[in-house]
Amino acid sequence: MSVFTLSQAEREKHLLPQLAELTAHHRENSEGYERILSSLGIARDASFGSIADLPWLPVRMFKTHDLRSIPESEVFKTLTSSGTTGAGASRIYLDKAAAGAQTKQLGATLQEVLGGERLPMLMVDTIGIIKNRRSFSARGAGVLGMANFGRKHTYVLDENDQPDVEAVKTFLATYGDKPFLIFGFTFMVWQYLYEVAREHKLDLSNGILIHSGGWKKLIDRAVDNTEFRRRFKEDTGLTRIHNYYGMIEQIGTVFLEGPSGNSLYCPDFADVVIRNPETWEEQPVGEPGVIEVVSTLPHSYPGHVLLTEDLGVYNGIDDGDWPGKHFSVMGRLPKAEARGCSDTFQGAAA
Amino acid sequence: MSLNQRFPLAEAIEVDKLVEELRAEPAGGRLRVGDPRVVEFLTKFARKLLAPATARRFPELASLGFFLRKGEIAKALSTLETSGDALRFPRGLVFHVPPANVDTIFVYSWALSALAGNHNVVRVSSRSAGAAETVLEALNAALSEVDADTAAAITATQRMVTYDRSDAISGALSVAADLRVIWGGDASVAALRKYPLAPHARDLTFPDRSSFAVASVRGWQNASEAERRGAAEGFYNDSYWFDQAACSSPRAVFWVGDEDGAREAGQEFRKLLAEVLATKQHVTEPAMAVQKRVSAYGAAVDGLVNGIEFQGNGIATLELADPAVLPREWLGAGTFANARVDTLSDLVPIVLRKDQTVGQFGFSKEELTEFVTELAGRGVDRVVPFGSALTFSAIWDGYDLLTEFSRLVTVQA
Repeated sequence: MSVFTLSQAEREKHLLPQLAELTAHHRENSEGYERILSSLGIARDASFGSIADLPWLPVRMFKTHDLRSIPESEVFKTLTSSGTTGAGASRIYLDKAAAGAQTKQLGATLQEVLGGERLPMLMVDTIGIIKNRRSFSARGAGVLGMANFGRKHTYVLDENDQPDVEAVKTFLATYGDKPFLIFGFTFMVWQYLYEVAREHKLDLSNGILIHSGGWKKLIDRAVDNTEFRRRFKEDTGLTRIHNYYGMIEQIGTVFLEGPSGNSLYCPDFADVVIRNPETWEEQPVGEPGVIEVVSTLPHSYPGHVLLTEDLGVYNGIDDGDWPGKHFSVMGRLPKAEARGCSDTFQGAAA
Repeated sequence: MSLNQRFPLAEAIEVDKLVEELRAEPAGGRLRVGDPRVVEFLTKFARKLLAPATARRFPELASLGFFLRKGEIAKALSTLETSGDALRFPRGLVFHVPPANVDTIFVYSWALSALAGNHNVVRVSSRSAGAAETVLEALNAALSEVDADTAAAITATQRMVTYDRSDAISGALSVAADLRVIWGGDASVAALRKYPLAPHARDLTFPDRSSFAVASVRGWQNASEAERRGAAEGFYNDSYWFDQAACSSPRAVFWVGDEDGAREAGQEFRKLLAEVLATKQHVTEPAMAVQKRVSAYGAAVDGLVNGIEFQGNGIATLELADPAVLPREWLGAGTFANARVDTLSDLVPIVLRKDQTVGQFGFSKEELTEFVTELAGRGVDRVVPFGSALTFSAIWDGYDLLTEFSRLVTVQA
């Protein structure tokens, strides 16, 4: 059952009623959300003409406020993540149903590129990242969430964060002649897998790489997505590479890079809107703007329509590997800084 | 660990050596209150700030230059004249810690202290940029244009330095000071207070403050078209010059008068304000626009506001659910809480010690005096017309700075 099937018109038709219903559901069950919408003058019985007309929340709201649409007694799992900006941690509340749905839909999304069975898996990380279950980093949560989709996990880094070349060689000798799964954060994949594989002439041609986490550190090394793919292909034989874009505030929803690379696609239960940061109107194809992510998954908290702090651009609509909009992420919005009388700068005074 | 000397430009120096140099008596005799050498230097420096090219690039430096013109200095000094048995003298060595992000405060603080005849060491933020760099260039340039005796006295007694965080240096400067002046908010005050002062010395602190605006509905109705436009322009300067993060910038606007009148006046005022933003080609960065929404929506979640209106990215108006509960923290450049009250008296119970500046439009001096009298020291240090919120004055945060920077000696025969 592929989840990359809906054209943009079908998506509007299919998702808009669900999203409008979700908006009403969250208004009903989250007092904070209701206060925002009523302050904005959006009537309770408002109807929305398109997905782009739905009211959005800045994703940072989940760092500053507790917003949930379930009573405390039904909270099954609280996800916390501190973003890279260090502006506190997001708190996302899931009930049992939401926790189940996000795992299921993430699985359905990845199945598109992994096939139906669980593959032997190389983790480009250290096992230490998931050992301390009490204080999960976002990285740990990502590794743990992804581990479900593989078997026979081998960690590329040892306990001291050093590449364990022997372990990788053993893994490849055992499983490398059939499809296997590789997962890691983009920067770590480059630094610990690509560089080690090139140095030791490892053959990764049967691998399927799933990676995420931004390009900031790699841009300094003059590596963008195109270069990343080219070098992996030339030096390791790895061609099935899928970057994905997702965030803890919309857990379970990932926008996946298509087979031909350099564009991210929306699963059938999600959509994306690129907005002009001046007018907040939707941008045409090719015009960069702020990324809004839309998903029908968030039932237990009002996170179904979120304005991110990332910049992106539509590469096209209904003209790519899979139907619907496809886009690229171009980086983060620069931080808002103000001049003022007060020094909030840490340690400025002493 | 040494300090970089930014003015007068010189080799890096160890803190003990710096203190020793600053303690020495300058050639040509001790500085006095209103010392002509300081006045000469400041007026030369002011002329540099008022040079058209500089004033165009940094309007805030033009204000500073204006503040330091010869006539203005004379006016300020005239307030210090003593009578009877008292004579006024400098305090001695003053250690100034200005905020990192308002580029000009350190100059006001320093200049008034120098006028009072003090030896000064100013810690300029190493993060300072733009206007602060221009100030330091102008200071150094002025030094080469005054006569040699003046230059020698200024060089011996006045220093602006930068140094990386250092307990040793901050500690040494603190214990050497007769007066320590701390700008930059609560955190800076708390951080500096860790370093002991000499027993006779004390702190002059400028902690976190917040400000609001009041507008008379009747005053608005009686104002001419030009006056209303002027109010919007003044309000723009008060609010947007430092991204509304200056402690004197208004964060809330109270319309004082009847409900219908307040609504109409408020709408017209915001329309005029939007026109000013358009004329000034004011740009709100996307990240700031998002920040404003985070703040506005957050205030709604908290139940503080029940109406949010955006006019483009530049102006966000938050209708307060209760005028008595106003946001005093920064919410993003161009984000204004809005409320109506019947009379100025209704604001009295709302005012806190933290409240600094009240920008006003359309009230008479009598009404404002009555309001302040009624406040009875509860809070508010200054009431100024729209457009003057950021204008620095020698009386600041309730202190007469020249008085604070000097001391009295009484003589009875």
